Amino acid sequence: MGCECGQRHMEAVLKNVGCTVELLAVAAHSGVVNEWDEQTVTRAFHWARYCEHIYSRFHGNPVIRGVLEKQLQLTNHRLKEAFPEYNAVSFLDLGRCQDLLLLWLLNNSALPISIMKMLFETKASADSTSSDYEDVRGLCNQIIQCKSACTVLRPLLGVPSVGADAEVQGEMLMERLGSALSQSSDPRRVEDFLSSVLQEFEVAAEHLCPVIAAALLTTDSAVQTASQDFLLDWLQSRRGVLQHVCTALPSKVLADLAERHQKFRDAFCKLLKKWASEMEYRVTEGEWVHAATNSAVSFQKMTEHYLTLFEACPSLRTEVEDELNAQRIADGDFDVRGLSVWGDILLALRK
Amino acid sequence: MTELQVQQATAHSPNVQQMPFWLEKAIAWGHTDTTHTRNDISLHLKRLRDFLQQLLSEISSVSSTTETLNRLPLLGQLLGQLCWNPHVTAEGASRGLLLQCLLALYSEHPSNAVERKANQWIQKVLCHLATDEEDGAAVGLMKHLGVPTKEYHLKVLKKMVTRIQESIGNSRCSVSSTNKGCSCGSIWAASEACVPLITCPEASPLIGALLQQQMTCIREGLSENFLDALHSAYLRCDLLLDEQAVVSLWYQSLPSLEEAVLNLLESATTAGSTPSKVEEQVPKSLLPKACAQHCSVFLVVNDIFRTVLKQNERNERVKNVFQTFTKCFFMELSRLQPQTSASLKAFFPQSPPSLLIPLFTMPSEMPQESLKNHLIWVSSSLQRLTEEEEDEEDSDSSNIRGNHKVFEAWFLLVQCGYWVQVVVQLLVTSGPEDCGPLLWLLTFYHHPTNRWHHRASQLVQAKAAWDHLYSLFSIEAHLLPADHLQSFISLLAPKPQQPSLAPSLTLSLLVNFATFGQLPQSISAEITQKVVHQSGLQDEATRVLSSLRLRLNDRGSFANDRVHLRIEELHNTIKNKCKPDAPSQTDT
Repeated sequence: MGCECGQRHMEAVLKNVGCTVELLAVAAHSGVVNEWDEQTVTRAFHWARYCEHIYSRFHGNPVIRGVLEKQLQLTNHRLKEAFPEYNAVSFLDLGRCQDLLLLWLLNNSALPISIMKMLFETKASADSTSSDYEDVRGLCNQIIQCKSACTVLRPLLGVPSVGADAEVQGEMLMERLGSALSQSSDPRRVEDFLSSVLQEFEVAAEHLCPVIAAALLTTDSAVQTASQDFLLDWLQSRRGVLQHVCTALPSKVLADLAERHQKFRDAFCKLLKKWASEMEYRVTEGEWVHAATNSAVSFQKMTEHYLTLFEACPSLRTEVEDELNAQRIADGDFDVRGLSVWGDILLALRK
Repeated sequence: MTELQVQQATAHSPNVQQMPFWLEKAIAWGHTDTTHTRNDISLHLKRLRDFLQQLLSEISSVSSTTETLNRLPLLGQLLGQLCWNPHVTAEGASRGLLLQCLLALYSEHPSNAVERKANQWIQKVLCHLATDEEDGAAVGLMKHLGVPTKEYHLKVLKKMVTRIQESIGNSRCSVSSTNKGCSCGSIWAASEACVPLITCPEASPLIGALLQQQMTCIREGLSENFLDALHSAYLRCDLLLDEQAVVSLWYQSLPSLEEAVLNLLESATTAGSTPSKVEEQVPKSLLPKACAQHCSVFLVVNDIFRTVLKQNERNERVKNVFQTFTKCFFMELSRLQPQTSASLKAFFPQSPPSLLIPLFTMPSEMPQESLKNHLIWVSSSLQRLTEEEEDEEDSDSSNIRGNHKVFEAWFLLVQCGYWVQVVVQLLVTSGPEDCGPLLWLLTFYHHPTNRWHHRASQLVQAKAAWDHLYSLFSIEAHLLPADHLQSFISLLAPKPQQPSLAPSLTLSLLVNFATFGQLPQSISAEITQKVVHQSGLQDEATRVLSSLRLRLNDRGSFANDRVHLRIEELHNTIKNKCKPDAPSQTDT
């Protein structure tokens, strides 16, 4: 009985999602939009929100997700026949259905001026009777306000921070990772999720590092400890990414990360040592240079990393200095510059 | 419209002439984003808003977009430029006007190619404005995480506001850090950046934090543009600030403070206001709180009061506002610090120092039996002060300082008007032997200037009024001596030839005799009703009663139930039987 009920419920969900996608296609490509009024638009946004809800509820559930993806495939196929210029809606798109609806609606040349006025309404032009359609009325005005305000304030944020954008992205990432971890018992699936999310940054790697740092520095709830642990493990298993993170981020952020997470501290110290061991002395320049010419790590940067790290974790100093000293002795125990990278780092750190 | 008319309209329209100026500005602003351009934008935002308002009314008044574009050929270019300037689109009013201009240019039924093309362009601009994203990677990530754009941007904005607020809170300018360059520069930059965000609800915590920043550095503080923008938003009632931020705004911006004081005075002295309404309005205005926190705010407010009082010496409404204000101010001040004569002197540098503590002590803080002696002492002190100064004035007619001293003493008495109310109440129960100093104090309160040496004559009249009332209200027989009453009423009639007594003085004596006297209630009410009716002073009498009632309701006053009952009944008598048009049953 319960099963039958659930099945009927699923059928209803599939039907609703299918209809909403059809609605999106109409909003994008049909001249019928010209006859839409405020009520129609508001209802369309309600259905779009419904799809967002479906997405957040089922994106971690592979079975239901699969069924929904199949439904979307069918609907997309039909719609492509009706509107040749139609862009298929993916399961991922359901998560931001309202954005899609807005974008497609605004691009439809049949959109009537009354709807534009409604979407771009400002407080000043709103009359007191317009309490209906509250969430859609003035939607674009609010979006523009937020975006512009962010652009105006962005230059005020100091350099050593990861930036408010990255912070928010990091927080959202941890939130989603947390829910993925609680929903799925298979770590491989969560790993896939994380990889697919962070794949976005392949073309914009400089954006990835602050987001990862921010995610590891969030302090919101206990759930995040599990998410952060997961992210740290993921990071360690991808040495390229880890190295990239440590190259791109400022010393202060790296030291903060090391202070917060033992795992990161160990990995970072190991990496610093690796970098040092790869350095060679260029007599012509009188400087230690990293062997891989494209590396951004300089001798100076490395000592800065160490010093900032000691400031954040003072207990680390003796341990690291002892290690460096042991290496220096192994290199012949000379007190001359340019012979042992370990000795020279030690010298720089004690300056 | 004929072509000639169009030409004339075009020539006279201020928009056409200003258009190139604004277009040039918009292009320059869009070209580079430096501190200099940002500064220039915030400097011009207010004027730009006015200009956009003019443009909007012009667009709305012209029948078609084709015609508008003929008149204002640069319009599209200007709007296009401004739409891509975040400093302009961040500001609520400018953004609203900009969007309305674009929407007003849209032709519902385009009649030609120009209008069709304009429609397409408008829709494209609007679409870009609402949906374009600068940060592609962030968009991708949010898509994967299923976070809607609006939610994302709102979160980022709130995060930025918190972070900047924190960095402001952490930074302190100190002498030792001067060579490192102090944080006040960044506070100036933050305040300048906030100019377009004054009315943005998400930014209000940051604006509040900036306002409350302790400015220890003399080199740089909050930007002038920021304070100006706050002030004009304050005037439009468009500000979303918490109490403490509003107090800080007054502390930082003199025009805003003046505006607030004048607003309070205006609303508290309008025709419909009553003492009990004033009692609510004054603390609600937050001004007493601001005054208690910042001595400099108090000094400004008191200066405004001083000026207003000089022009409204006899206006009891105005005096009532000041008294209520002082009471509220003291309540706030005592919450912050214990009062000493030194601390009071900072707030009242011009008042006679010896009178500060005696007058600012509340009557309720003193044993009832010492009230009379206290007031006799106050009266003699003031009397001595005025005599000294007025003697000097006699010998030197240009003695402005003397006048000033007397005025300041009187101003203080007005602010501490609760003592004058005690004076009147004591006059009811005093015998002829010690009513002299009390009557002097009451007369001085109502007639501070001894112009043409009228005080002696006014004192004689006040004494006569008191004598009348004293005998009227002490007669045991329940018969009204009509002649006594009549000659008392004649005291209230205006006499152009001689210096007459302020009716409010006589009325307050009457009301207090009727309330605290020993005559039966019915007779007291009858006397009051007759006097008030025949002299036509219903409003004034109601006001005196209301403030008496308010004072007696104050914590620690000595009123009993009988007194409250009598006030209620007197109130009803005046309200119901003293309407000027109603035929009086007790007319003699």
